Amino acid sequence: MDCNITLVGLNHRTAAVDVRERFALAHQTDPDNWALPVGGAVHEALILSTCNRVELLAMGTGDVRAQMLGAWARARNAKPEDLEPYVYTYHNDDAVRHLFSVASSLDSMVLGEPQILGQLKAAYRKASESHATGVILNHLLHKAFSVAKRVRSETAVASSAVSISYAAVELAKRIFGTMNNHKALLIGAGEMAELAATHLMQNGIAEILVANRTLSRAEELARFYRGRAVPFADFPKALAEVDIVITSTGSTDPIIHAKDLKSVLKARRNRPMFFIDIAVPRDVDPDVNGLDNIYLYDIDDLREVVEENRASRRGEAIKAEGIVEEEMVSFRDWMERLDVQPTIKQLVHMNQDAIDDEVARTMRRLGSSDEELRKALESMGQALAKKFLHAPITYLKEGDRASHSRRILTVKEVFNLDGHCPSRLAAQSAQTAKEGADEAEPADPAPGRSCPGAAGAASAKKCPFSRFKAMGREDDGDKKESGEGMPCVSTS
Amino acid sequence: MTSILTPASSTLLTLALYAFAGVAGMAGMVLKKPGIRLVAACVAAVGFILQTVILFMGFHAQTAGGLSIGAYMQMLAWFLMLCGIVMWVVVRQEAPILFGALLSLLLYGVSARSLETVVHVPASLHAPFYALHIGALYISLALIAISFAAGLLFLYLDRRIKSKKSIPAFIADIPALNILDRINFVGTIAGFPLFTIGIVCGLFYAKPVYGSAMTGDPKEIISIVIWACFGWLFYNRVSQGWYGRKPARLMVAVFCLSVFSIVVVNLFMNSHHAFVRI
Repeated sequence: MDCNITLVGLNHRTAAVDVRERFALAHQTDPDNWALPVGGAVHEALILSTCNRVELLAMGTGDVRAQMLGAWARARNAKPEDLEPYVYTYHNDDAVRHLFSVASSLDSMVLGEPQILGQLKAAYRKASESHATGVILNHLLHKAFSVAKRVRSETAVASSAVSISYAAVELAKRIFGTMNNHKALLIGAGEMAELAATHLMQNGIAEILVANRTLSRAEELARFYRGRAVPFADFPKALAEVDIVITSTGSTDPIIHAKDLKSVLKARRNRPMFFIDIAVPRDVDPDVNGLDNIYLYDIDDLREVVEENRASRRGEAIKAEGIVEEEMVSFRDWMERLDVQPTIKQLVHMNQDAIDDEVARTMRRLGSSDEELRKALESMGQALAKKFLHAPITYLKEGDRASHSRRILTVKEVFNLDGHCPSRLAAQSAQTAKEGADEAEPADPAPGRSCPGAAGAASAKKCPFSRFKAMGREDDGDKKESGEGMPCVSTS
Repeated sequence: MTSILTPASSTLLTLALYAFAGVAGMAGMVLKKPGIRLVAACVAAVGFILQTVILFMGFHAQTAGGLSIGAYMQMLAWFLMLCGIVMWVVVRQEAPILFGALLSLLLYGVSARSLETVVHVPASLHAPFYALHIGALYISLALIAISFAAGLLFLYLDRRIKSKKSIPAFIADIPALNILDRINFVGTIAGFPLFTIGIVCGLFYAKPVYGSAMTGDPKEIISIVIWACFGWLFYNRVSQGWYGRKPARLMVAVFCLSVFSIVVVNLFMNSHHAFVRI
């Protein structure tokens, strides 16, 4: 069997950023500009291009890898040899395992980050719009999405914050629950402090006050956060009305001391306060943490939290890999069962033809046109056929993939399937041919036969999946995922 | 139906529901599954309804001679669950009813062994004041118990955050400090006035029955101590704006004194309230 799933790609581990930029296919995934045409060795294809990875996934026969690399290199005006030092290649089980790991964010630069799944969904949508996916990749991608969901719900791989600003917001939630009725004060303006304030806004903080030595800068930030600016000299007064304080000034000495906060606490009737001190040197005197109902985290504390969370995610990743392995085996089982589907279909159609013929003959013999009688005979015939077919269908489904060719040939010989052309399949074939060349049965029909069912023997030897291409496209309408296109960020 | 729902069988059924609710509630917290927590809270509520029906149908009255010690514990559990449900509605968190289910489970477990031990209530105590005395104190004790659980969690979580230590995964989904303090606050604001009513009713009632409002009974002394501590907590909560660790610690102390009062005084000491004496 030379039909296989192949994945070639490069990522943040195998290629530096300049190489990733050079070979990125972000613009070559649009349907009008699709970089990996289906044809030749490639029967189905998908391109995933993010900041940290470019991966091409294909299902086909023969030298799929060479065709993929060639197309990739052409799309970037390079030679396949230029790509070789950076790319990795996975086949079949390994390719499926890798795809599931990518979807579950186990292969991301920041373990467990959520964006890759949206990016993969977007890639699948584009491939689908480009008519590049069929039954196998459709099923594989849907499986990948469900694996990612399972990993997220059954492990804590994505549960804890791994960025300093997000960790600060998570801590605030531990203290205040929801952010809705709380206010924050931003003292000074640094990138990380602004990021933390943005996270607070996204979590529904009621208001953000901004104090800066340069009032115009404070006003600018306040406009951005739809809050209000406070003159720097007045920030101690503002402390009584805010619950979260993010400090990030360039001051060489602490600007907030424990003794100053006693009166603030009294004024706010001991309601808790959370200080996030991102400045170096620190803006808040460490003694502040000793006061009741005041919680202080400086940049090192937050770093420690992030490190712990990262370690915890790594531990959870082991659990997640178990899920990926389990699902990979389940996909492999599905693939193996797929080999025998055309033969099962042919067997069922053959029996249905026989039932139709015999019912018609019996009705003629009886000289009856009673519709009820005809239905009763049909139903009896179907019941008998179901019982007779149970054994051969079970026989076909059993065993591993290697034994399927033998089993298919045995069933075909016993039931003389190659000599029988079920009328339904013939009709379907004629209809398909009418619909257009690209939608017709594509793979290796047996020479000299016009019956599409006869392709089964050949397909058992070659790639049985390609015959499902047209069917897969029909499926697209139902199964199309609404991928959430995400801006490119450096985590996936 | 009464032949099926005996005190023993109804106790077992309620026990099973509270056990399921308690275990599922903890699992919901550990696994961070709000759906499981909600189901657990609903099962606890069903257990409470069943317990209410049992109480109103008077199954425990079948025990000859009056209320058993087990039934006394179960009534306390009923009030505990009632407060848990009210708090569930007030703070919109499943935590109070789940704490309530766990504590009720404990009370039910203890009660199962004493369903046949009858407490004879003297005829002189059959009066409305007595019902008010017991009812107000039971609700108050239930509120104290739930606030105690919230207070303990507050102290634990506060210490972890202050000392910059991570929260273990199995309790990663516990309510935020603000919510735990809110539970404590509601318990204090509602519990202290009820406790006061219960104590005052008891004192008024003691005079005609025992000849004096204060007889030096151990139960009276411990109750006054609890009332004083609870009153201090109430005063500081209302007028000084106490928040966080201080009220949590004081509530833990109030609860420990209450347990001493219920378990040690009622079961092992010579008191007006002692089951052994009656």
